[in-house]
Amino acid sequence: MKAIILSLLLVLTAAFAAPSQAHAQEPLRIIIDEGVIEPLPFAVPTFQPETAEAAQLASDLARVVSDDLTGTGLFREIPASAFISTVSDFNAPLQYADWKAINAQALITGAVAVTGDQVTVKFRLYDVFSGAELGNGLQFAGTTDAWRRMAHKVADAVYSRITGEGGYFDSRVVYVSETGPKDDRRKRLAIMDYDGANVQYLTDSAAIVLAPRFSPTGDRVLYTSYESGFPRIYVLDIGSVQRRVLESAEGTMSFAPRFSPSGQTVVFSLTQGGNTDIYTMDIASGASVRLTNTPAIETAPSFSPDGTRIVFESDRSGSQQLYIMPVTGGEAQRISFGEGRYGTPVWSPRGDLVAFTKQNKGRFHIGVMRLDGSEERLLTASFLDEGPTWAPNGRVIMFARETQGAGGSSSLYSVDISGRNLRPVRTPEGASDPSWSPLQQ
Amino acid sequence: MDTGQYISGAGHLILIGWAFLGGVFRSEPPPFEMTEVSVITGAEFDAILAAQVPPDQVTDVAQPQAPEITPDAPEVAAEPDRVIDQPVPSQAEAPPEDSPPEEVPDAPPQPAEVTDAAPTLDDPVGDVAVLAPEVAPEAAPRPIERVAPEPVAQPDPEAAPELDQQQAVAPDEAGETPDEPQDATAPEEATTEIVTEATAAPAASVRPPGRRPAAPEPQVATNEASQDDNAAAIAAAVAAAQAAAEAPGTPAPSGPPLTQGERESLRLAVKECWNVGSMSSEALRTIVVVGVQMNRDGTPIGNTIRLLSSTGGSDAAARQGFETARRAILRCGGKGFDLPDEKYGQWQSIEITFDPRKMQ
Repeated sequence: MKAIILSLLLVLTAAFAAPSQAHAQEPLRIIIDEGVIEPLPFAVPTFQPETAEAAQLASDLARVVSDDLTGTGLFREIPASAFISTVSDFNAPLQYADWKAINAQALITGAVAVTGDQVTVKFRLYDVFSGAELGNGLQFAGTTDAWRRMAHKVADAVYSRITGEGGYFDSRVVYVSETGPKDDRRKRLAIMDYDGANVQYLTDSAAIVLAPRFSPTGDRVLYTSYESGFPRIYVLDIGSVQRRVLESAEGTMSFAPRFSPSGQTVVFSLTQGGNTDIYTMDIASGASVRLTNTPAIETAPSFSPDGTRIVFESDRSGSQQLYIMPVTGGEAQRISFGEGRYGTPVWSPRGDLVAFTKQNKGRFHIGVMRLDGSEERLLTASFLDEGPTWAPNGRVIMFARETQGAGGSSSLYSVDISGRNLRPVRTPEGASDPSWSPLQQ
Repeated sequence: MDTGQYISGAGHLILIGWAFLGGVFRSEPPPFEMTEVSVITGAEFDAILAAQVPPDQVTDVAQPQAPEITPDAPEVAAEPDRVIDQPVPSQAEAPPEDSPPEEVPDAPPQPAEVTDAAPTLDDPVGDVAVLAPEVAPEAAPRPIERVAPEPVAQPDPEAAPELDQQQAVAPDEAGETPDEPQDATAPEEATTEIVTEATAAPAASVRPPGRRPAAPEPQVATNEASQDDNAAAIAAAVAAAQAAAEAPGTPAPSGPPLTQGERESLRLAVKECWNVGSMSSEALRTIVVVGVQMNRDGTPIGNTIRLLSSTGGSDAAARQGFETARRAILRCGGKGFDLPDEKYGQWQSIEITFDPRKMQ
């Protein structure tokens, strides 16, 4: 009897042990659905000067690269004073342990050579904890005058490799530069690097100028000027600073222009007989098409990136709201239904969001929403925020913020579309109406 | 007619007179009670009370108890009652004998239950770490509440039409006035949140392992063996079977499965280093499963980290998600994850699913 029981037990335990053995060989499985959101620490040792003339540029380039990355709010620079080892040779193997020790998760090394007025910049990006290079090294060449652009391109490449999204550092912003008190404000068009460097003025302040808008290729700017006493739309070539006025009928006011994605067409508002509607115009021929025809005020049109639709603001419902219509006109679909008034919509370069200005209960907000009006997210709040414009990668928005009171002034800010990293953009004078260019070629 | 009036008047007079004189309106029940109380005064009253208390108690208790006890007493014999009393002490002696065997087998499992409590402690820790990032994305709605202070400034010369429309919303404004102090802080909060990540001190070891139940099962076997020959033979057979099963398996002893607390500890350790802040929006929608082989000291073997699968995004997004996950494993595993050595076989190979969708 005992033998039978024992044999039975042996069989059972063996059968039980077999799956447990298999189980022991299976991997331990865990699921992680929460992490942290914090800037990624990186280190940028001063680039290696490969020629004697490159010493200063090597330092300046590394500084601009670092500023670009830090300015996104997604990265945090580890100061050079914390470095354990230095990079003395661009091609020498890295001492990863030294960079791990200071928790540098990304390391950027570079070398600069200057020959005459030509600059060559090389860089490598390392994933320190993986002990490997992230992507291949790149090299840029240009003139010494354009050294900042080369630094921006290095930063764009680093940003893109780590985040998986396109960069936006090698871009420019055209805006309205403002001086003087509110009741006697003088305005002129200015253009600068995205970070506020290299400011240049495109017009004088003889006439009021408004709402400059970049062309899709970044070589031209549309803007509205009161030069003739009435608002008129002008096209300005940035390279030559030559401009011309777009055709418009006598007794009309045209404003709020924007380029189509093709750059061949302009969409704008035209006021005739007290009624404001939206039109498109072929720049070359001057032929225009009326897209809306209501007694309400329709303005601030903006093309979708694919050029098939237009988002605009209208008070046809009794209050100022956002609508989307086909590029050929026709029935428009209202997309904003929240409390308050919505205006100046701008379609994201990615095509999935619309940025807008919202006024509600005495406060102004910059916000974003999906194309059906869902997931509205207000990014800012102040006395007066307006005029959003998208960074080329669709992740950052720049806008103008005006302070309160007679002595109040307007200045530019940028904010991540998550609402984080709100920070001012330095300009030598007051600034409003920014328009972000595409990435430069 | 007159007679009727006289009769009626007389009747009423009699009724009114009776009401006043008859004491209808003067009846005073309280005075009656007062007089009764006032009569009793002095030490006599106390003496009366003292004298009355014992008899009252005696009478009350005596009447019910007496009849109840008396019927029970005759029915149950005095001897059986004593017999019942005797077993009671004998039972009291028995428990001490039973308790030792219970404590021995239960001791190991009880700690295991305590470890279950540990994960509950882990959760708050995890929540704290997660709360900070979660607040950041939600910073957007706050601006709505910061609407208070500037309504006064509304009457800007530029905003004449705006004022008209906002008047319709006036009731809402009244409710928001308390939010005024938030105006100045609103935008700053958004920025500070991003900047504050400097406090990312990666504390790799979240907590020590709960406890180490060193081979509880063998103990149970020996205890049983001491009781019966058959049980001894069974235990020996079981032990032999287990030993035989483990021998051909992984060279390292697999040990019992990781407790919930140990798994949670590992999860928290990796979570603290999983920084999704620099991930693209597409990568934040992409789930990646990453496999890694572990050294016995709890450190990951770097070149074994591999992307097993991904869902929800492009290859580029999966690659970025994998790189972020790999950084998390390598950074927080650099000093070794806090895993029980005797269970090495259980965590020699780990598969981690990184799901960033909640972090968008």
